[in-house]
Amino acid sequence: MTKETLIEFNNVSYSYDDEEENKRFAVKNVSFTVGRGEFIAILGHNGSGKSTIAKLCNSICIPTSGTVTVGGMDTREEENEIEVRKKVGVVFQNPDNQIVASIVEEDVAFGPENLAVDPKEIRIRVDEALEAVGMYDRRFSETHRLSGGQKQRVAIAGIIAMRPECIVLDEPTAMLDPKGRARVLKTVTSLNRELGISVVLITHFMEEAIGADRIMVINKGAVKAVGTPREIFGQPELLKGCGLELPDTAKLCEKLKLENIDIRGDILTEDEFVDEILKLTGKTE
Amino acid sequence: MIRDITIGQFFPGDSFIHKLDARAKIVITVLYIIALFMCKNFFSLSLMLLFSVVCVFISRISPKLIWKSLKTIIFIVLFTSALQIIYNNRGEVLWKPFESREFAVTTGGIYSAVFLAVRIIALILLSSLLTYTTSPTMLTDALERLLSPLKVFGVKVHSLAMMMTIALRFIPTLINEIDIIMSAQKARGAKLDNGSVGERMKAMISVFIPLFVSAFRRAAELAVAMECRCYTDGASRTRLKVMKMGYRDAVAFGLLSLVIAGALFTSYYGFSSMFIFEPVM
Ligand SMILES: Nc1ncnc2c1ncn2[C@@H]1O[C@H](COP(=O)(O)OP(=O)(O)O)[C@@H](O)[C@H]1O
Ligand SMILES: [Mg+2]
Repeated sequence: MTKETLIEFNNVSYSYDDEEENKRFAVKNVSFTVGRGEFIAILGHNGSGKSTIAKLCNSICIPTSGTVTVGGMDTREEENEIEVRKKVGVVFQNPDNQIVASIVEEDVAFGPENLAVDPKEIRIRVDEALEAVGMYDRRFSETHRLSGGQKQRVAIAGIIAMRPECIVLDEPTAMLDPKGRARVLKTVTSLNRELGISVVLITHFMEEAIGADRIMVINKGAVKAVGTPREIFGQPELLKGCGLELPDTAKLCEKLKLENIDIRGDILTEDEFVDEILKLTGKTE
Repeated sequence: MIRDITIGQFFPGDSFIHKLDARAKIVITVLYIIALFMCKNFFSLSLMLLFSVVCVFISRISPKLIWKSLKTIIFIVLFTSALQIIYNNRGEVLWKPFESREFAVTTGGIYSAVFLAVRIIALILLSSLLTYTTSPTMLTDALERLLSPLKVFGVKVHSLAMMMTIALRFIPTLINEIDIIMSAQKARGAKLDNGSVGERMKAMISVFIPLFVSAFRRAAELAVAMECRCYTDGASRTRLKVMKMGYRDAVAFGLLSLVIAGALFTSYYGFSSMFIFEPVM
């Protein structure tokens, strides 16, 4: 990566236990970097330490050992806390428990208000953030009347309004229906592509990781593999070993191979799959 | 059924009332309620009631919603009225169930029953209008500003206001959750709406324990989410909506003063003879 480093984990371990002996580590010796404008997906099954990594990114959790730096600032230093949280925003799984205010626009304004931004500027930021997630039309709605997907987009807008350089999303779609999930994913992708915000998408839906620049697989708190989606999904055994599954298209390809059909091994998206099938059946347009 | 509760709900709009400063609305409501309790006869009370009704009209909040909020207190109204009819024995006796005047239905009883009912209705009308036309954030911000002199005594006014914002925000969420838990427990055979009182009480425990567990989890998650959004102690926060008193607030205060002056004048001077029967509280 030639890109400027934004977040850097350097041999980070974290334990929720206080006592010195027999510590159980939720995160063990993790090192990785997130570059400016990068889209990284973190895959891992339940209890593998994904949420802990999210909280380590913006000094909600302070590493037990090792260092986390954000834009060169050490998250252990208390005076960096606000600056770090301004740069890296985190969106959690349950949208209901992240929304503070009863009205959409007032909730989105919560972050900038805390940062003592001028009211006129808050207005601009709130409107922009709501436009970015496609919720501008619902700005006067009561938050409890929204669907799960809409709430999650409001939560994302609440972070966007703080103008972060990176946004970490901890399983943002886990509690949503397929439609809400697709809409949230589209929003996240557009934030990365159009606004150039770095994205760290934590998920256990393989399909959501396909669009990432890089994927990091973690298991039991340790990094198992880092690579492009093609590299990672080209190793089905590794994923299975971490309790993960292949994306549907890759699964289908595997089955076809078992039927002795000579299909490419690195197909990820549905479009690629359709093209390949058309080629194999000699029906290319 | 449990979802019908409209406490603290806000219905956005752009009426004159919606545009009033939240602080002005709170002060007006408080003054109105005080004046309401100083009214001594139907003349003054009608004047006050008229004020609430006109306010409701101006706010363009649908009468259906107003009716909904009145419905929740109808029991209290009927109860106090019934007490008046039974225990207030002044005036002419209309119907005597016993030999003595005790428990008799009298003109005085009916008079004060109606009087109290109207008073409660007027009170609910204006105070529900306050929450219906003011966003919870504005309401708590306004309270924070109004109570800020208490800071001198070490009262954490901002924390109180933030607590209220969050409480108002989570009322619908928790009501919804109670609904879900109740259905889940009923499906497991909990006797929530049949069975003896004891059984029902026991069944309610099976609703409240999961509710509490979930509320604590929500609180912990919300606290982290608020930290992520740079919330500290709120000392230096700015606001999206700047509160500003304007000509509207002056007009509202002016009108209120006229109504209150009228009500107090009719109560204590001109028409004091109209008031015959002191209601029993
Ligand atoms: N607040 C906490 N206190 C104690 N242990 C925790 C806490 N949060 C998570 N853990 C433990 O840390 C490990 C990793 O959890 P987490 O980061 O939430 O994983 P994931 O998000 O991948 O499901 C788990 O074994 C979990 O039990
Ligand atoms: Mg998690």
